[in-house]
Amino acid sequence: MTDRIASGFHPFVLPFLVGMLFVLSYCLIGMVRILFQLPREDRRRFYLSLINPKTALKNVKDIFLNCLIHVRLWKRNPLLGYMHSSIAFGWFMLIVLGHLEVFLFVPGRAKLLYYPIFFNYFVAESDTTLKGALLFFLMDFFLLMVLSGIALAVIKRVRSRLFGMRHTTRSSALDLVGMYALWLIFPLRLLAESLTAHISGGSFLTLPPNWLALRIFGYEIHMLPAWWAYSAALCVFMCVLPFTRYMHIPAEMLLIPLRNAGLKIRNIHKGFAKVEVLSCPGCGVCIDACPMSASRANLKNCTVYLNRQLRRGNKRRINQISDKCLLCGKCEAVCQVGVQGPELRVAHRSSRRYGINQDYSNVVPSVPQGGHKLLYFSGCMTQLTPRISKAVISVLDKAGVDYEWMDKEGGLCCGRPMMMAGRKEQAEQLVRGNTRLILGSGADILLVNCPICYRIFKEEYDLPGVRIVHHAEFFDELAASGALTMAPGKENICYHDPCELGRGCGVYEEPRRLLSQCGGLVKAGHEKSESICCGGSLGSLTLSYSEREAITRNSYADLVVSDPDLVATACPLCLATFSRYADRPVRDLAEIVDKATD
Amino acid sequence: MKPAVAIIGGGIAGMEAARQLLLLGYTPIMIEKSDHLGGHVGEWHCLFPDMSPAADLVENLKNGIKGATVFLETGIAFINRIRDTYNVMLDNGISIPCQAVLFATGYELFDAAKKEEYGYGIYNHVVTNRDLELWFGGREDARFPAKPSTIGFVHCVGSRDIKAGNMQCSKVCCMTAIKQAIEMKEKFPKAEIYCFYMDLRLFGKKYEDFYIKAQRDHGIHFIRGRVSEVGENYDGTLQIKAEDTLNGKPLKLNLDLLVLMAGMVCGKDNAKLTAGLRMGLDTDGFLRSRDNIYGVTDSNRRGVFFAGACTGTKTIPETISEARAAVLGIHNYLMK
Repeated sequence: MTDRIASGFHPFVLPFLVGMLFVLSYCLIGMVRILFQLPREDRRRFYLSLINPKTALKNVKDIFLNCLIHVRLWKRNPLLGYMHSSIAFGWFMLIVLGHLEVFLFVPGRAKLLYYPIFFNYFVAESDTTLKGALLFFLMDFFLLMVLSGIALAVIKRVRSRLFGMRHTTRSSALDLVGMYALWLIFPLRLLAESLTAHISGGSFLTLPPNWLALRIFGYEIHMLPAWWAYSAALCVFMCVLPFTRYMHIPAEMLLIPLRNAGLKIRNIHKGFAKVEVLSCPGCGVCIDACPMSASRANLKNCTVYLNRQLRRGNKRRINQISDKCLLCGKCEAVCQVGVQGPELRVAHRSSRRYGINQDYSNVVPSVPQGGHKLLYFSGCMTQLTPRISKAVISVLDKAGVDYEWMDKEGGLCCGRPMMMAGRKEQAEQLVRGNTRLILGSGADILLVNCPICYRIFKEEYDLPGVRIVHHAEFFDELAASGALTMAPGKENICYHDPCELGRGCGVYEEPRRLLSQCGGLVKAGHEKSESICCGGSLGSLTLSYSEREAITRNSYADLVVSDPDLVATACPLCLATFSRYADRPVRDLAEIVDKATD
Repeated sequence: MKPAVAIIGGGIAGMEAARQLLLLGYTPIMIEKSDHLGGHVGEWHCLFPDMSPAADLVENLKNGIKGATVFLETGIAFINRIRDTYNVMLDNGISIPCQAVLFATGYELFDAAKKEEYGYGIYNHVVTNRDLELWFGGREDARFPAKPSTIGFVHCVGSRDIKAGNMQCSKVCCMTAIKQAIEMKEKFPKAEIYCFYMDLRLFGKKYEDFYIKAQRDHGIHFIRGRVSEVGENYDGTLQIKAEDTLNGKPLKLNLDLLVLMAGMVCGKDNAKLTAGLRMGLDTDGFLRSRDNIYGVTDSNRRGVFFAGACTGTKTIPETISEARAAVLGIHNYLMK
């Protein structure tokens, strides 16, 4: 392999160089700006995490597995996984092998940025080429891999249903420019390398077209237009990249170490949140996942569009999308890069200033007498669904638990609704009030039957020495210890995972274990982290009842696909919401356990 | 042969229509799904404003339809049109050819258990307006305490309630609550009685008189505000939380008995019943009249008529008038 062009330069590399320098400097400046937007403590935490060998190793591993191989996507949808990893990993290997070729054959040119990209143009085959045969093969192999990915991408563009997607994102104009440029890069590369293959050498992919061209036309086709086109496509792609969804490629490489450092979203427009927004690949997996997709009008209120509007700075739409969301967390559960849709929205809501700010710090609820081992907090929603508290009390009595019902005569709200509305200050007043009551009672266990309360107790309360349990967990423990013995009924039960208990707190197995002892447990259409919100969530500030009804009916239909005799859930809000439209009994876990232990 | 008219529903609308059709010389054929005639009114004890026994009204109507064919405990499989006549197929396999069809299917009482916060079916001393009327009529019911000292009435249970899926006002519950409150006060003169309302809609003849009488002569308390929660005390009595919106204050109250004024909701079989005729339902789930002002008793199909609460919530006098109006419509249609 020898240099063919003495100067080692040709003007067609210029478009590529312009694009490359532009995108590199854009990303570098952007990264520095974002790092400086981080609060000081967060920034310190981030730098420390980089020198911690454990997190550093995890960063490398996560970047390799998620950005290049797309392991998460493979698990969710193998076809999409192959499409993405073939393009990303194939392209990555082309770059790596290109550099390897330069180092091996023309080490003198290693400092030239464009050389590995246009290697085949600048070299000629020599008697040492045999050593390069393997590399030629690999280069063609990975080019074929990328091309297969691009072919799938084109098919997906026309028929997304073949890839199991009902809805995909509507692309913006620049996204389309970027996409077409990306589609063109590799076919053009194939063309350019094929036309050069009789000089530079090639392998199974590039040699046959070269031979064919020579046979058909009888003369050598001028190769330069192909190289120009290849360079131009690269230039267009890199110049529009920062303004398209393809920005996710560089952004995710920053997102992973930031997340591994344990940072949280503080301001929706700056720092960590900004990286998350830029990391959104706009794939649209969240559109089908969003419970609001039950009605067409709400298709554009899911996280992918929030991210797009955040990038555009469209305040009206950001407000709309932020307020409408149920905060069920499904978009986050299915998101391949882990964009925290609900947290972004809550951060936006909390940036608002209100004219009236309620003060809950002086509200005096009834104080527990204390002296009991277990404190039972039923919460506001359960006051509206009294059959749940009745059943919980009955089960506690049967198991002989020493308890006190903390808010029987009315209590303080747990604070979660305020937290969801972004009113952190009010939420904290309630958190402080309840903390005082709970610690004052001297109980060891705080039992809650509402997942909404459970989540904030787990996340925001500091209750040293007090174990917080949901009744699904507690009853499961009672059953395991033999304090409760259940006689299984004949009914088939389908369990609905409440968002706050499942995706919110990761409690999936306990309720299922309990229910399988009370009757036959049958499957829902979507379960566990894939479960569909009932539509009653307090998270939404603006959904109308008719919109909620569509969500509830859709979620319910998915729940009863196996035709169960009754529907079980573990949340008073899900219970009330489903009961409104259900065609069969909807019961809380506590009621079912209560009945089975009679 | 005299033209036959199928009447679906044996409540007061259906019976009055059958009576009038007989008088005009037609052959009414009545189909009723339950085992007795009289519908909801048949379960009621006394009717406002004259406190006349409901049983008398039902009895008079029954006497008026002697000679009509009545199918009890019979449902409808389907109804279809064959040229200018209709064929009503019963679920017992009998087919009724007729020249006109009158829907008098009425309404259903809202299932108060759906408003779980009021505790119907969960707490012992929570009953509905219907339970109370049946109890007045002599039915044994363990939920009624022997000597209640405080009684609450909750208006608009399942009416004007988007969460319950019913936007319509049931029209009669305000007045029924006042009537029942007075009856309870007469039964238990020492009891304190509270009515929790959103608005009082007292539009009919003598309704306002009743309202004033209830306050002035019987000392019944009217509190504007909905009950938010109901709980049970250890002794089985009820504790309710509400807001007095005129005072702007929350209140808690202990009650011995809570009566829920369950509202009227559309029949759940409406869609199935009308499917063969392709008439479509109104947006509120009730049957759709040709015109809500000028053609309430007409459908948008020739030869199909409506009477009573199948097209929306109605009072008894309205229902009776509609039954007569529908019969006149049928008569004019058959004379053509």
